[in-house]
Amino acid sequence: MRETYGKLLPGLRLPDLAGKLIVIEGTDGVGRTTQINLLKPWLEEMGHAVVDTGMTRSLLAGEGIRRAKEGNSLGRVTQTLFYATDFVDRLENEIIPALRAGFIVLTDRYIYSLMARAMVRGMDPGWIRSLFQVALQPDAVFYLRLGIERLVPRVVFSRGFDYWESGMDLFPGHDMYDSFCSYQAALLAEFDRLSEEYKFETVDASAESKAVCGHLKSRILRLLEEDSRKTFLTKLSLGPAGVEARKAADKSHSQEHREVDDALVLVPARIPAHTVPGNGHAALQQKQ
Amino acid sequence: MGFSSGVRIGPFEVFAPLQPAVSSVRQYGEHQFPGRLFVVEGIDGSGKSTQLSLLHKWLESKGYGVVFSEWNSSPLVKDTTKLGKKKKLLTPATFSLIHSTDFADRTERSILPLLKAGAVVLCDRYIYTAFARDVARGMDREWVRELYGFAVQPTVAFYFRVPLETAIRRLLDARDGFKFYEAGMDLGLSDDPEGSFRIFQGRILEEYEKMIPEFNLTVIDATLPIELQQAQMRSIVKTQLACATELRVQP
Repeated sequence: MRETYGKLLPGLRLPDLAGKLIVIEGTDGVGRTTQINLLKPWLEEMGHAVVDTGMTRSLLAGEGIRRAKEGNSLGRVTQTLFYATDFVDRLENEIIPALRAGFIVLTDRYIYSLMARAMVRGMDPGWIRSLFQVALQPDAVFYLRLGIERLVPRVVFSRGFDYWESGMDLFPGHDMYDSFCSYQAALLAEFDRLSEEYKFETVDASAESKAVCGHLKSRILRLLEEDSRKTFLTKLSLGPAGVEARKAADKSHSQEHREVDDALVLVPARIPAHTVPGNGHAALQQKQ
Repeated sequence: MGFSSGVRIGPFEVFAPLQPAVSSVRQYGEHQFPGRLFVVEGIDGSGKSTQLSLLHKWLESKGYGVVFSEWNSSPLVKDTTKLGKKKKLLTPATFSLIHSTDFADRTERSILPLLKAGAVVLCDRYIYTAFARDVARGMDREWVRELYGFAVQPTVAFYFRVPLETAIRRLLDARDGFKFYEAGMDLGLSDDPEGSFRIFQGRILEEYEKMIPEFNLTVIDATLPIELQQAQMRSIVKTQLACATELRVQP
């Protein structure tokens, strides 16, 4: 049964979300994007429909965040909330519609990266948790972990230093190398703490990307099998008549909810029930 | 570098180890600053902006360093809000979050540092606007309050109380039509903008009424003559400035 971290977004019905939500987390430079690019075609080959998403890709806030980061005057509360806006926009318009349609959603980072960044910047942990109460609990969180001594050369030698990845907003006046090491070490410590709290599956990211991917694939397969077995067993135990009865019960239940919901709440205007996940934004842009 | 922390991670010495999970962001009600913060609240057409601008002129003429901050005006965020409104991308949740982002930027960039510097800060709409609107849109009451936990508590929050019909008449006299989100048209309450405005702003009024005791809002009867409301406002503000003479700027 799907759950949130404490609060339900207006108009959201959790039992409708049949798909799988798989999160790839980790600090900068651990190879999250590489893994998603390997996993997506593999899942599709097996016949699963896949949507992938990642930070600052929202139609609403992606561009605004990029612009705000160009000037170096983005405060830490503002930064946290801007990213939260981007996250919730994608949650409501990409992730939830895709899950509703039975897709597998692969997400490059989730709330945990946002939490780690905010905590390293000294934000109140209670405040951060309450902000992300509206997030859905994922089916799996794979935490790609790389020690600081391996992380530094990998990032620095491949793409150089970035102002924000180096946490320069925290250490103005220091050089980027020192700042990067301190910042990434603090992030790593925060990720390790979150990993315990939220029960991440830690994956050693120092291996070859193919080996890491092999490991991820076996875990994902187990997750998908478990699910299909559960569905199968439910059907078996209920028998064909039972399945029909169950369906009817579910239907009347959700209808009841709908009536209550419509009176109080507003279904976001942007998500018609028939929306094809992932294409919503494209269709919208074409209309403009 | 000048100093050594002695903390090593692998081959690297960390010059200033960060302390995750140690909060330095203070919560509502905990701030103590030399400046003063006066905010006005009320539904559209309550006349609060008129009153605030009269107060502004008066404070300036008295020699105070006055700064004005308006709802939804952060240079960093307002383009995103505008995009969301124009293309109707906003849901109740993202509507709430983008406005809190705007407010956070104004708090971090101007409200908080100016209060530290001892200015008189005037805000047209404050967190109570968000509480009223977001809850009227179906967001969780507690969640929205927690969202704005970083806000500075105002010295005085004026609430301009006006009956819905008076506000609607004033708005209709002043301009034609109601804006989409302002009328709560995103909620599908009614196809007619005026009808929708009536239902939505009615809900907002209910929320404001509940907040009067909760946040100790100072109620001003917005149906009184403008001059009378202004006199009430000035006399309340005056008592709050009495013990803060150092706020005066030499002309």
